Amino acid sequence: MNATPTPLDFRPFGESTPRPGNPVKSIHVDPKGAQDSVYVRATDFSIFYGRAEAVCKVNIDIYAGLVTAIIGPSGCGKSTFLRSINRMNDLIPSCKTSGQLLFDGVDVYDRRLDVTVLRKKAGMVFQKPNPFPKSIFDNIAYGPRLHGVKSQAQLAEIVEQSLLQAALWDEVKDRLSANALGLSGGQQQRLCIARALAVNPDILLMDEPTSALDPNATSRIEELISELRGKYTIIIVTHNMQQAARVSDYTAFLYEGALIEYGETRQIFTNPTRKHTEDYITGRFG
Amino acid sequence: MRISTRKLLDRSFSSVGVISIALMGLILLVILVPIFRKGIGALVFEATVEHRRLILDNFDHGDDLELAAEIKSAREARQPVYEMVQAFESRQQAKIDSLRPDLETLAERDDSMGRLVARRLKRLGPDEDFLEQVETIQQLVPRLREYGDGDDAPKEIAAISSGITRITSQTLAFAELKEVLYDLLGPAPGEPMPQLTRKQYGQTRWEKARETIDHLFFIERWDYSGPGMGTLVREPRVEQFRETEIEPLFAYVEGHAEAMLQPRWTLYWGFLTDKPLDSHIFGGIYPELIGTIYLTLGAILFAVPIGIIAAIYFTEYAKAGRLISFLRACVSTLAGVPSIVFGMFGLAFFLNVWQLPKGVLAGSLTLALLILPVIIRASEEAIRSVPHTYREAALSLGAGRWRTIVTVILPAALPGILTGIVISMGRAAGETAPIIFTAAASVAAPLSLNPLQAWDQPTAALSWNIYNLCTEHEAADEIRHVQFGMVAVLITVVLALNLFAIILRARIAKKLKG
Amino acid sequence: MNSSDHANPLKISSDRLILSARANLTQKIMAWVGQAFLFFVASVAATAVLFIIFYIARDAIPFFRLRGFQEFFGSTRWYPSGSPPVFGALAIIFGSGLVTVGAIVVTAPLGLSAAMCLSDILPFSVRQAIKPIVEILAAIPSVAYGFFALVVLAPLLQEDGGPILAVTWYIVALPSLTIGIIMASDLLTFRITTEKKRSMARRLLALGLFAIALPLVVFTGQILFQLKITTGTNALNVSFILGIMALPTVVSVSEDALQAVGRELREGSYALGATRAETIIQTVMPAASSGILAALLLGVMRALGETMVVWMASGNAAQIPTPWFNYLEPIRTLTATIAGDMGEADHVTGSARYHVLFAMGFLLLLLCFVCNMLSEWVVSRQQKKLRGEV
Repeated sequence: MNATPTPLDFRPFGESTPRPGNPVKSIHVDPKGAQDSVYVRATDFSIFYGRAEAVCKVNIDIYAGLVTAIIGPSGCGKSTFLRSINRMNDLIPSCKTSGQLLFDGVDVYDRRLDVTVLRKKAGMVFQKPNPFPKSIFDNIAYGPRLHGVKSQAQLAEIVEQSLLQAALWDEVKDRLSANALGLSGGQQQRLCIARALAVNPDILLMDEPTSALDPNATSRIEELISELRGKYTIIIVTHNMQQAARVSDYTAFLYEGALIEYGETRQIFTNPTRKHTEDYITGRFG
Repeated sequence: MRISTRKLLDRSFSSVGVISIALMGLILLVILVPIFRKGIGALVFEATVEHRRLILDNFDHGDDLELAAEIKSAREARQPVYEMVQAFESRQQAKIDSLRPDLETLAERDDSMGRLVARRLKRLGPDEDFLEQVETIQQLVPRLREYGDGDDAPKEIAAISSGITRITSQTLAFAELKEVLYDLLGPAPGEPMPQLTRKQYGQTRWEKARETIDHLFFIERWDYSGPGMGTLVREPRVEQFRETEIEPLFAYVEGHAEAMLQPRWTLYWGFLTDKPLDSHIFGGIYPELIGTIYLTLGAILFAVPIGIIAAIYFTEYAKAGRLISFLRACVSTLAGVPSIVFGMFGLAFFLNVWQLPKGVLAGSLTLALLILPVIIRASEEAIRSVPHTYREAALSLGAGRWRTIVTVILPAALPGILTGIVISMGRAAGETAPIIFTAAASVAAPLSLNPLQAWDQPTAALSWNIYNLCTEHEAADEIRHVQFGMVAVLITVVLALNLFAIILRARIAKKLKG
Repeated sequence: MNSSDHANPLKISSDRLILSARANLTQKIMAWVGQAFLFFVASVAATAVLFIIFYIARDAIPFFRLRGFQEFFGSTRWYPSGSPPVFGALAIIFGSGLVTVGAIVVTAPLGLSAAMCLSDILPFSVRQAIKPIVEILAAIPSVAYGFFALVVLAPLLQEDGGPILAVTWYIVALPSLTIGIIMASDLLTFRITTEKKRSMARRLLALGLFAIALPLVVFTGQILFQLKITTGTNALNVSFILGIMALPTVVSVSEDALQAVGRELREGSYALGATRAETIIQTVMPAASSGILAALLLGVMRALGETMVVWMASGNAAQIPTPWFNYLEPIRTLTATIAGDMGEADHVTGSARYHVLFAMGFLLLLLCFVCNMLSEWVVSRQQKKLRGEV
């Protein structure tokens, strides 16, 4: 790490800032164009569905190159928050925001922002694997084609690299022209990760990527996340606390739209500062 | 109520439901079975040698050598019939000739009768047509009778007129017989070829030939002497010709009908690809078929792009609001407009305002309006049923709205949209009312296969010509097989399109399951 | 980062998150133009119906301006080519109404009981097998129905119409009579308290009712049997065929309405000990009543707007039958008049003869419009009701 994280402010509970220390695992993180290692920063960021406040005044810094898990009971606003980072919430007409959300130093809700570039930079993996009803090759090549790659050789190169990164290459290299819907659930999800990687994003947003998978496939995805760690900034929303503990460097706990606690994963799970966090982690509610 | 009554009611209620469904199926069968059974008769039937001759003469299908042999043997089989007819005719002629001396004496009288007879005599003689001669002398009978009542009339008058009557009564029966024979076999060898195609050939279909043979054997007349409605009486025709040269003809025809006509089971594909001859009495329905195809494809061509774009707008772009709900109400109202009103609109707008000629283009545009709501609704439904996750995936990869629609949503919705298109094709193919004023012509040359030449031509179409042939045709009863064939072809086209749609739908369901 | 892994062609310099003002503007304009185009096409498609209404009305109004309303709606004399011509459309409007009513009488009982059977009685797999019957009935072109009516049904009615009607009458009347009498006798004797007396009374009552009703049924059957039908192309023939044509719409729309009622209501009724028939009639039907009404309205629309069948098989006689409900006489409808007379009138554009047909078309359009609006309104009301808003 070459920069000190900026102070965080947890206004909803008026507490002193839990300052995350250096990342647990000592890897070199290249901040990639950002002036410091913070890649996504929310300041007093709130999201409303019509009148209802789904996320309220969240302040959080998400560090480049690390895996950040967002946990919390269902309906706590963790998916909503994640989806605001690449503005997928735009699909819901009644969705409004306030406060500031910086992505790579740029306000995500700036009116001049090019959403397609934002979404290209922020790849997303969804709860349920959602490959297109096309061939495996066409699924991966969809993004690059969209962004103007036409040469078949380059496409083939990107497809291979993406599948290799997603640890799917060996399983599908002989049937790239087969329909992607014929793959197993876990394979489909890795295909979706490969598809997201193919447009060369900076950050991967994972919205409960294993909730629809069996334990075996889940552990494959988790391994994959560990492999991608350091190459991409990864934000993973999960309701599975063990998963958060296993794969993430930092963990944020959201409850009823508010960020209750944010810190190093080990600290959150071993020594939470808030009673709520402790109750949730020990399974008293959620 | 008692439990048992309630149970009875429950059971009868259920059975009413089941019966009504069974009834629905039964009605469907009652409608389709006769149409298909008789409709197939237009394609597959026992064709006589006359049919093969007609096809070879007019459409150049078939083997000339084989046919020539067939015609030869048929002619040989027919020869005795013609000989019998000939013999009868010459004997009758002899009888007429035997009247001649008496008539000549009569003609010498210097009064109105004499002059009349003299005029008539000029038209008698072996060179004149036999039946015409008979008619000529027959016309004399009432005048002769009238004249015979006069005081200075010669005594032979009564004998002459009764002689004429004897000849004519038998000859009239003979004329009728000859007409039936003509229906059966066509013109006799050596007879001049008439202009009308229907007069150039005998019966081309064996079942029709058998009907004609039945007419030959039996005279049918209605007897109104009894109470109430008349009853049909069948008298053997042979009775009229006892002890004449014709008498053996009936037995001969009975024994040699097949040799004379040589019926053979035939699959007549030409029904679909040949032009009609002599206003559909012979030949096929090619102009109707090609017209229907033109109109249907034309309607699809206009309605599909507009319908799909409208559906995209309504599903992907339109925000709820008064304007949009008004537009939606408009679409549903369009779906409820009676088809004849579409036709009137086509007449008032495309023909009178736009000054389009009555033809394929105007008809297609009218039909396009008719199927537009069907296509919009089907496409909307298909687009709505595309899983939301596809949309999210495409958007998350940085695709814009329009790119998402074109690259992901439309391909995924395509089978559903196609189903709608195929069903509306069936609808367009079967509709009649919208094209009556805008495109249909009862008799028209088949459209050119080049749309640039065809677009302004009025055309025959299956639906319209079914109507036309069974209500306005001069011999609607005679060409039932053509009508049934047309209806069967139309229904087959429509049902095949629907079947295709059902298969498509089943395949989508499978595909979405993965 | 992964840029070192392979030369990624996607790493292009234009990957700027914030667009320049100009690019931003271009993008917005493009989006707006695209959307405007889509809106344009969609509204052209949707407003086609307004064009139709306008152009039909434009040619209909001159008629009323020339001849007023009195003659058109008040007279039964239809002599458009007489001199002077008379354009009394009353008999024709009446004919349209007559066959529409006839069609509904055929289609309503058949269609509703079929819909109930499909939604509540038959198992799912059988239902799937039956759906194609309805679809095929809907797909058969109207001219094919017309052909059937003219070439198959009309001669049949003309020759054996009486016996056919009589047999139909017996098939319908005898079972319903039996069930009705059993029900009536049960209901009427329900208050008698002693079991023995009650069953005695019930039997006696049933016998008595039967003795009264049976001769009536047989008498009617005899009359029908001896009926002589002078022409097969009449209102009865057309009504029957139109009823069949309306059947698919009625069945599928009312089945949807019945299905929309939901399991809970049915289960609630069954839980109270109701039989299936009682559940459907007393619980499901009232809840689905507006959907069923909408289905019938759509059926009316189909029958009213149908051209080919009536043109081919109604006999096309512009007269009110005597007596007015005599379905065995030929009649004439609005649609058939338009179809049949336009050929003689369209070369005299501008004459009353031409415009009167548009007046008829406008009337038809209006009637169908009203039916459509009513059915939409009724359906939306049911949806609101099911959502609990009313």
